[in-house]
Parts: sequence; structure tokens; C-alpha cells
Amino acid sequence: MMSEEPRVGVFVCHCGLNIAGVIDVKELIEYARTLPNVLVAMDNRYTCADPGQEEIRKAIKEHDLNRVVVAACSPRMHEPTFRRTVADAGLNPYLFEMANIREFASWCHPSTPKEATDKAKEIVKMAVAKAKLLQRLETMEVPVTNKALIIGGGIAGISSALDLADMGFKVYLLEKSESIGGHMAALDKTFPTLDCSICIEGPKMVDVSRHPNIEILSYADLVSVKGFVGNFKVKIRGNPRYVIAADCTGCGECRDACPIEFPNEWDENLGVRKAISVPFDQAVPLVYTINRDYCIECFKCVDACGARQAINFEQEPEDIELEVGTILVSTGFDIYKPTDDSRYGYSRFDNVITAMEFERLILAAGPTGGKVVRASDGEKPHSVAFIQCVGSRDVNKYEYCSGFCCMYALKNAVLLKEKYRDDVEVYIFYMDMRTHFKGYEEFYRRARELGVNFIRGRISQINEDPKTKNLLIRAEDMMLGDPLELEAELVVLSTAAIPSKGADEVSRILSITRGADGFFMESHPKLKPLDTSVDGIFLAGACQGPKDIPYSVSQGSGAAARAATILSQPTWKIEPIIADIDSSKCRNVNAKCGICVKKCPYGAIKALENKAASVTAAMCHGCGTCVAECPTDAITQMHFTDAQILAQVRAALEENPEGKILGFLCNWCSYAGADLAGTSRFEYPPTMRAIRVMCSGRVDRDFVLEAFRQGAGMVLVGACHLPYDCHYISGNYKMKDRMDALARIFEKLGLSPERFRVEYVSAAEGVKFAAIMREMTEQLEALGPEKIKAENEKLRPTLDKMLSRKRKK
Amino acid sequence: MVLHAKRYSLTLDKNKCTGCGICMEICPREAIEVTKTPKIEGEAAKPPTVAISEEKCTYCGMCETLCAFGALSIKINGEHIIPVVNSESFPQLIREITVDETKCGVECAEIEDACPLDLIKVSVHTPDGKEITGANSRLNKENLEVTVNIDKDSCPCCQLCETKFPDSAIRVEKIFHGNLRINREKCPEDCHDCLDVCPIPGVLYLLDDGKVHVNELNCIYCGVCRIVCPEEGALELNRTRIRHTEVRSGAWNKALEKLASTKAMTKELKTKSGKRLYESMKSRFPPEVENDV
Ligand SMILES: Cc1cc2nc3c(=O)[nH]c(=O)nc-3n(C[C@H](O)[C@H](O)[C@H](O)COP(=O)(O)OP(=O)(O)OC[C@H]3O[C@@H](n4cnc5c(N)ncnc54)[C@H](O)[C@@H]3O)c2cc1C
Ligand code: SF4
Ligand code: SF4
Ligand code: SF4
Ligand code: SF4
Repeated sequence: MMSEEPRVGVFVCHCGLNIAGVIDVKELIEYARTLPNVLVAMDNRYTCADPGQEEIRKAIKEHDLNRVVVAACSPRMHEPTFRRTVADAGLNPYLFEMANIREFASWCHPSTPKEATDKAKEIVKMAVAKAKLLQRLETMEVPVTNKALIIGGGIAGISSALDLADMGFKVYLLEKSESIGGHMAALDKTFPTLDCSICIEGPKMVDVSRHPNIEILSYADLVSVKGFVGNFKVKIRGNPRYVIAADCTGCGECRDACPIEFPNEWDENLGVRKAISVPFDQAVPLVYTINRDYCIECFKCVDACGARQAINFEQEPEDIELEVGTILVSTGFDIYKPTDDSRYGYSRFDNVITAMEFERLILAAGPTGGKVVRASDGEKPHSVAFIQCVGSRDVNKYEYCSGFCCMYALKNAVLLKEKYRDDVEVYIFYMDMRTHFKGYEEFYRRARELGVNFIRGRISQINEDPKTKNLLIRAEDMMLGDPLELEAELVVLSTAAIPSKGADEVSRILSITRGADGFFMESHPKLKPLDTSVDGIFLAGACQGPKDIPYSVSQGSGAAARAATILSQPTWKIEPIIADIDSSKCRNVNAKCGICVKKCPYGAIKALENKAASVTAAMCHGCGTCVAECPTDAITQMHFTDAQILAQVRAALEENPEGKILGFLCNWCSYAGADLAGTSRFEYPPTMRAIRVMCSGRVDRDFVLEAFRQGAGMVLVGACHLPYDCHYISGNYKMKDRMDALARIFEKLGLSPERFRVEYVSAAEGVKFAAIMREMTEQLEALGPEKIKAENEKLRPTLDKMLSRKRKK
Repeated sequence: MVLHAKRYSLTLDKNKCTGCGICMEICPREAIEVTKTPKIEGEAAKPPTVAISEEKCTYCGMCETLCAFGALSIKINGEHIIPVVNSESFPQLIREITVDETKCGVECAEIEDACPLDLIKVSVHTPDGKEITGANSRLNKENLEVTVNIDKDSCPCCQLCETKFPDSAIRVEKIFHGNLRINREKCPEDCHDCLDVCPIPGVLYLLDDGKVHVNELNCIYCGVCRIVCPEEGALELNRTRIRHTEVRSGAWNKALEKLASTKAMTKELKTKSGKRLYESMKSRFPPEVENDV
């Protein structure tokens, strides 16, 4: 079937007057008919409308067409529509190609209809050239295990777990610490309504433990994850508690018998817990744990436990293996402890504490029974200063805003004022008060009305009075511009929320990316805020960046819904536009290569020693970066094969190549930017012939070499902006490295530097695209065809050699 | 350790501490460090010094209970509390010191001087409770009451008081039993560091051969000699028995393992403690020892 003679039909759309108003459609059709393998060419006022589509279907049947080209608008607009049309007529949808003569011709060259028509002809010619080489592709389907793994049992993970479980999916909730609950379980009251944190989270935690569809895997670590969307294989290591969960009734008699106390991390080390204990009374699961670092092995607990025999000092780590269809990451955040910043005196001065420590002090169930006291003397302070932005919004530390500190400082100020009234003076040193979202600004006003003192200024130094252990705060009042000194009996630091400790490990195991700030990266900041770059893995809560409780809960539910789109399907469809490795050509069989493995942004390729590399189809996103990098051309990207693209290059440059700019534009940014230039009717000279690739990472060195060998005047590679805009994580970087090296070669070979250009154009930069076209055309004209021809002649032998040597390998 | 909720302290009375290192040996947190005091030429050896790390200590109190000299004291929120004793996770040393005051006459005051650690206080009172000093010189000795006060918590039970005054009112049983041997071959001439640091006079003594000899009658087997001894193997100390209150506790078994010879420990484990505890400890025995008993 593949080798059958292509029978191409070309369908030209008028798009009302949008195309026909500039382009001579009749002439275009006549021209199309002259192209080899084209059996029919016809026009329609609106090809995308029902009659237009019907015409295509009819023609396919009548003329037994096996390839279809529609010359109309951008493929970003109607490619899916026409794929369906041809599929309806029984043709494989991938045997369809679009020629973009609206955005790329009629709309951007309205005042030069003749040139626009010539350009349209060549666009159709390029499309036909590619169409002849198109291959049928089948959408793959993989089975879906309809279970989910949630990593991190904070409020975000709890929300996801309950939602998914209520939808009927089996959920494994993995929590590294002894209890689920996360930071919220340690807070006192929550802004802006001041409801008790554990009173609202506790019932949810219990719901989780009782839900028949949820299995909590607490005190356990993620070890490895293999597989792909719908089919993840997960290994988990359960750490020994030395208490058998099934037999522990949570009575606490062992705790009472145990002589050993150690600082309780859950209490921010302000209080103690026993060597056998639960971190807090509402812990879920309510299973005791022995801390063997502290236990003296007196075995009093064993005696106390008695007939229940729940304690087992011989317990070993447990290996757990799971199969799940999706993974949700909700590992939250950690709190910065400013021991490395001498300005604040934290850990040097007894009465300087963090906000989280303050939460534990003011909490009635906390280690001091809700009494806010100073460590130095156990006395209640009469003046408390909250210092904002400790570590946050600091270019030398953490550049970002931690988001919830302003609100929790207000909360704690209000709580202090309401608890001790005029007996305590409260100050807040801040840079900006950030109180957006519902009810927050009103809460700020409440704090002001209660007489909290707001001082706008950044701290320069905190010193301790060695006698009274009071703190002398030096700051600059930003309102008045004066230096200011204030004495406080207690200082509370609103320290930055930072990526959780194991985040790098999690990112490595799951192959999901982290931003410069260390938090996990979403797939798209606006449209896919809950997705990661890996299909089937989603994010929720503060692991993606600091978030308060309402936001984390919403994200938890959102991520559950995203996961359900997969879990609810028996199978998952995978786009066939992926990479495929010809094992007979792969160099890794005989030598150590593995270049593709390193270049794939998704970790989709494996290359075992002395074996050909192979692509896991479900993990491949189809950027084509590996294809461009493979030194032996062993990799093919379906629907964007070397042969197809080279055919487009040759078709584009058959006539008058010196007068043309050949462009390779990535689908998501630069091609979209060029579309926008057309949509916005920015007029620019008709010198460009564009080839669409999914990612700039696909642009092979050979494509550029071949373009110059064919005599191209100029070559442009268009990509998404660095650093983060690439839709395939880092394809643009891989392209840049490759093209930088190529540019150096060209320089040595005497190519005028302006003839080869890499540009970063976003989907919003139509203006920039048009400007680049104008600038390049001017340069092209300045160089003149003679100079270009001369350069090309000089270049040709080298190019021949470079290309042939590579082909022979 | 200062926490907002609780204050813990462990204080070491440097005057009582002899640097024997028993506390260091049994501390489960390795919170105690015993350092030899560097020797100065021509001067007598000085006892080792003891340092406690606040960071590592969990204030369990094991060291306090085992310090024969009562040099350590734990306080929690200002109160003297020994958690391992309260929970019966650790035994207390049994200091069997009895005083038969009916045997005491005013001349007994001399016995005060017999204690090398100055723990005995003899006082003489008139019937109405007035303390009398210099009672011996008094003519009318009838009706005077004699009380003997011993700071028992600091007494290592060397029995020196009893040895020196065999007929007196004080009867003492040793806490630690064992044996101490000096290997003549290895013990270098002119060294008497052990003798210099031994808290009990007369236990170690020099003979004409220039070497140190042992009189085990009053040895308390604290082991400070072993710490200062510069020659590996010159001094051999074995504890065979420790008199303590009875407990069922793995922690104590572990401490025993560190303090006493394995043989002695196996015996105690098998006789006194439950079989289960013995089982749990079994893995720690070298197999030969196990067969041996
Ligand atoms: C001092 C302070 C006061 C605050 N007050 C308020 C308030 O009043 N109102 C409000 O709305 N918000 C408040 N917040 C913010 C609130 O704490 C967060 O919004 C919330 O905790 C975010 O929930 P989360 O589930 O995303 O993350 P977390 O609460 O951090 O939970 C993450 C969970 O994941 C687990 N985990 C981490 N890594 C792994 C791993 N590798 N494997 C398995 N498990 C892992 C953690 O143990 C934890 O249980 C406050 C924050 C602070 C610091
Ligand atoms: S064995 Fe350990 S956990 Fe159990 S009571 Fe003793 S010290 Fe506590
Ligand atoms: S580099 Fe791109 S095309 Fe190649 S395997 Fe990875 S995702 Fe697929
Ligand atoms: S056990 Fe020995 S070293 Fe430790 S405090 Fe007591 S006397 Fe000093
Ligand atoms: S109290 Fe316990 S932990 Fe602290 S030094 Fe003594 S034996 Fe060690």
C-alpha cells in the first residue's frame, strides 16, 4: 500500500474573499493540475463548510484519491476538521496535508496579488511534495489501570484522594511522614475566618482513613516509577514503625510506659514526644511508631502493650509494588529556617522564632497549652514584632513571594490581640501587604482596627539585650525614610516557603521538571496548570509554588478531575506522531552512543548496552529532537520524516532559490506568530517559504545544509522563546546548541552571517515576525542574487561532501 | 535542653566525679565524653575529665543511676526526676549500708576520717537535741546521743570504714563485684598512674619491685585505673556482679553487656529476666559465649 502510486487531490478554498480577493484561484488550480501525481484540483467558496467537505469526500471516491491537499487557512485552524473529512471517506487521516495560503499569502501580501499568487502556487507545490510521501498512521491505544497514586498527604493530596475515591477509583495515598495532614494539621486557626485548622482538616483525614477506596501508605518513601500514562509501575519502601499497624489499637499505653522523651518535630521542636508515640493526637493512621534513634530498648512498651503484641522490634522495611494509571504529586513545601542569615539572630537569640513555631505556641493543643511564652524565661511577651519577607522576595535568597505570609502574620496578630487585648503591643514590619482574594482585605482592616501597628520597612539588624533577652530591631521606615529602632520581647519571622526536601528526588524519579525556584513546573502556566510534562502525572497544592489552603484544595480537586479524564477510560489514545528507531541503523549496537537518550526531554528513549535504542511510544511527545540529533539517521519522526521535509525544501527552492528565505517554524510559537502576522494583516514581502515542524528541536542540520545546497538565499529557524516557552520542555535549547555549532561552520566557509538566522518568536509576536521578514528581505536584496550565487558555488562542494558522507554511513 | 514547654538539665558534680567513665560506657546516646588529662612530667596523674553534650542527651537518667559516686543529677522543670527509674526501665544500685546506732559511742566520731570521700558525719547531741562539739573531752558522757549520717547516694561502697573499724556500727556491702589484675610483664616500671587516680586509698600500692599491686578488699571496680593506664593489657578489670534493684528491661541488659563480663551477664539474663528478653538479646552474643554457659 505504501508503495502504491500517489493519487493526489488538491482543493483550493476561496474563504469568501479572504483568499480569492487577493489570489487568482483559477490560476492556482490550473497550476496545481500541472503538478505530478495530482489527479484533480478544484475550488470551493468555503471548503470547511459542509458542502466543501462533501466535495472532498465525493472526489476521494470518484477519483480513488489516496492523498488530499487542502489549500486554505492555517493547519493550526482546520487540520483536525479535514482529517475527519478524509477519514469519513475511508482515507487514513494522516494522508492529508494542508497548504496555508491564507495566513501565509493572501492576508500578508494584499497589495502584491501577483507575487501572492506565485507564493501560493509554491506553497501548494510544497504541500503536494510532502503529501506524496505521507504514510498512513494508526492511533495507538494503551490499556489504563484505573487506580491512582497520590504522593503527599497534605490538604491538597487529601482533597484529590477523596474526590477520586468518591468517583469510584482506587487511590493509594503515599505519605512520607507518620501521619497525613501536612502543614495544615499543625496550624492553629486559619485565615480569614479563623476556624480551627485541625477541626476542619481532622474530619477529612478520618474520611480518608475510612474510605473503602483509599489505602494510606504512610511512613513510606517513593523508590521508583516505571512505565507511562495509564500504566505506571511504582515501587515504594515502607519504613518500619516497629509497631504492627494492624494490631495497634492506638491506646497509648506504651507511650505512658516509655521513659524517653525527644524533641517533637511536629511541634517545631518546642515540645517533646516519647520514643514510642504518635506525633499528634489526631494522627491518621493512628499507629504508634518507635524512634529507634532515641529508644533505649528497655521494652517497657512491650510489657505495656501486653496481649495485643503490637510491638515488634524485628520489623523490616517493606517493599510495596503498585500498578496505577495516573500519579498526582502533592508534596507541598518546607519552611526556611534563617540560621544562615545573621541579621535575624534566629537560633542565636532565644526569643526569635519562626511563624510556624508561633503557630505551635498559640495552639491550645500545643506544647505550651496555647500560652505564648518566651523561651528565655517562660514569660508572656508584652510586645511582639512580626517580620515579613524573611528569605522571600530577596534576590540573594528566594526571589519569589511566598504568598501566604502576609495573611498568616495578620492572622496571628489578630489572634494575639484578641487573646491578650491591650496587654500586648503588636507590630508588623512589612514591604507590601498582599491581601488579594475573597475576604482577605477585610481581614487586613480588622487587624488595623484592633490596633496592630504596621511599619513599612525592611529589617537591617536584630540585636539581643543580654540582660532582658529583649530584641532591638533596627529597620528603615520606608514611609518616612528614617532609620528606626524598636524593642520587642518576642520576634516572629515570616520565613519563606521553600520546595519540600525530597523534591529533587521526586522530580528525578518521575522525570518531571522543576523551575528555577525549585518548585515543580506545570506543563503550561495558564492552560495546563495542573499537568506536568509527563502525560498522566499531575500537580496539586504548594509543591508547584506557595499556595494557601483554599487554593490548594481547589487544585487538589482540579488535579483529581484531570486524572479522572484518564482513569475513566478503558484505554488511552496516543498520537502516532512519534519517534521510531530503526534498530538496524542504530549505532548503539556496536558502539556506546545513547545521544538520543540524553537529548529526549521526556526520558522516552532507552539504550541498553550493545542493544539498539528504543522509544517508549506512550512517553514520546513527538518533538523530533532525537531524530535531528541521531548521528546515523536511525530515527524517524512519523509524519515529519526526513524525506518529507527534504521534499518540501526542494519543492520550495526549485525556482529562483536565491530570492527566497526558507523558514523552519515550530508549530506552537513561531508558526503561530507567523499566522498572527497574517491574521493581523501585517504586510511583509513575500520572500518566505515556510515548513512547519512540531518543535524547533526537529530541525536537522541536514535540512539547513540541503537548503543552501539547493541555492537558498537565506534560512531562518523559528523557535519558542528561551528559556521556558518550548512546548517540549527544552527542544529549543537543543536546537540552539546545534545551530550555534552550524553557524560557526558557515562562518568558516565564508557564508554571509545574515543568511542564516535563528529567531525566537512567540505566538503573540505577529509584529515581530513581520518585522523580521522585512529586515531579512532588505538584507537579501542588499546582498543581491549574484553574491549569493557566488557564495553558494563556493559552498557547494563542501555541502555535497557533508551531506553525502552522512548519507553513506 | 531548653524547650518552650520543658526545661531539662543534667549537672555533673566535678568534686564527686572520679572520671571512671561508667556513665560514658552505658549512655545510649553517646552523649558523654571522658578525656584523659594530659600528664605533666614529674607530677602525679590526674583523673580524666567528663563532658556531657546537651545536644545528644535525652535526659533518660541511666548515667545518674549507675554513677557509684552520685556525681550526676537530672532535673526536669527544676524537679529531680529520673525517667528510667520512674518507668522501671532501669535498676538502681543497691547500697547496703547499715548503721547500728546502738553500738555508737562518742568515740565513734573518729570513723568520719576513715571515709576517703568524706561522706560520714557523726554528730553528738544532748537529749534535748543540742549538738555538742568536742564530746570526747566532756566528762559527763552519759545521756548523749550519737547519730551517724552517711551521704549514701554518693557512696561507692568501698567498705573502708568497715575495714578500718571492724567493730564499729557501720556495715557495708559492695555494689560492684569482680576482679582486678595487674599484668606484671606489661606494667611498666616507674608508672603508677593508676595508683594516682584511684579514689580509694590502699587499693593500689607500690612494692619494692617498683610495681603496683592490688588489694581487692576495698576495690569498687569503678575502672578509672583502666582508663589512665598507658599500657594496653597491663590492667585487667572484670565486673562479675552488680547489686541492683530488680527490673525487667532490655536497656539494662544492654548496659550490663557493656559493664560486666559476658559470662556474668548471661548468667543474670538467664536467671533473672524473662525468656523473651533473653531471646531478644541473643543475637548480640558471640556464639562461643552462649555455648559456654
Ligand atoms: C506559618 C504558616 C501559617 C499558615 N496559615 C494558613 C492559614 O491560616 N490559612 C491558609 O489558607 N493557609 C495557611 N498556610 C498555608 C498552608 O499551610 C498551605 O496552604 C497548605 O499546607 C498547603 O497544602 P499542601 O497539601 O499543598 O502541602 P503540605 O501541607 O506541605 O503537605 C504536603 C505533604 O506531603 C508530604 N510529602 C512531602 N514530600 C513527600 C514525598 N517525597 N513523599 C511522600 N510524601 C511527601 C508531606 O509530609 C506533607 O504531609 C500557612 C502556612 C504557614 C507556613
Ligand atoms: S523500648 Fe524504647 S520505645 Fe519502648 S518503652 Fe523503652 S525506650 Fe520507650
Ligand atoms: S526526543 Fe521528542 S520525538 Fe524523540 S523520543 Fe523524545 S519526545 Fe519523542
Ligand atoms: S560514673 Fe564515674 S565518671 Fe561518670 S560521673 Fe560518676 S564518677 Fe564520674
Ligand atoms: S541522661 Fe541518659 S542520655 Fe543523658 S547523658 Fe545520661 S545516660 Fe546519656
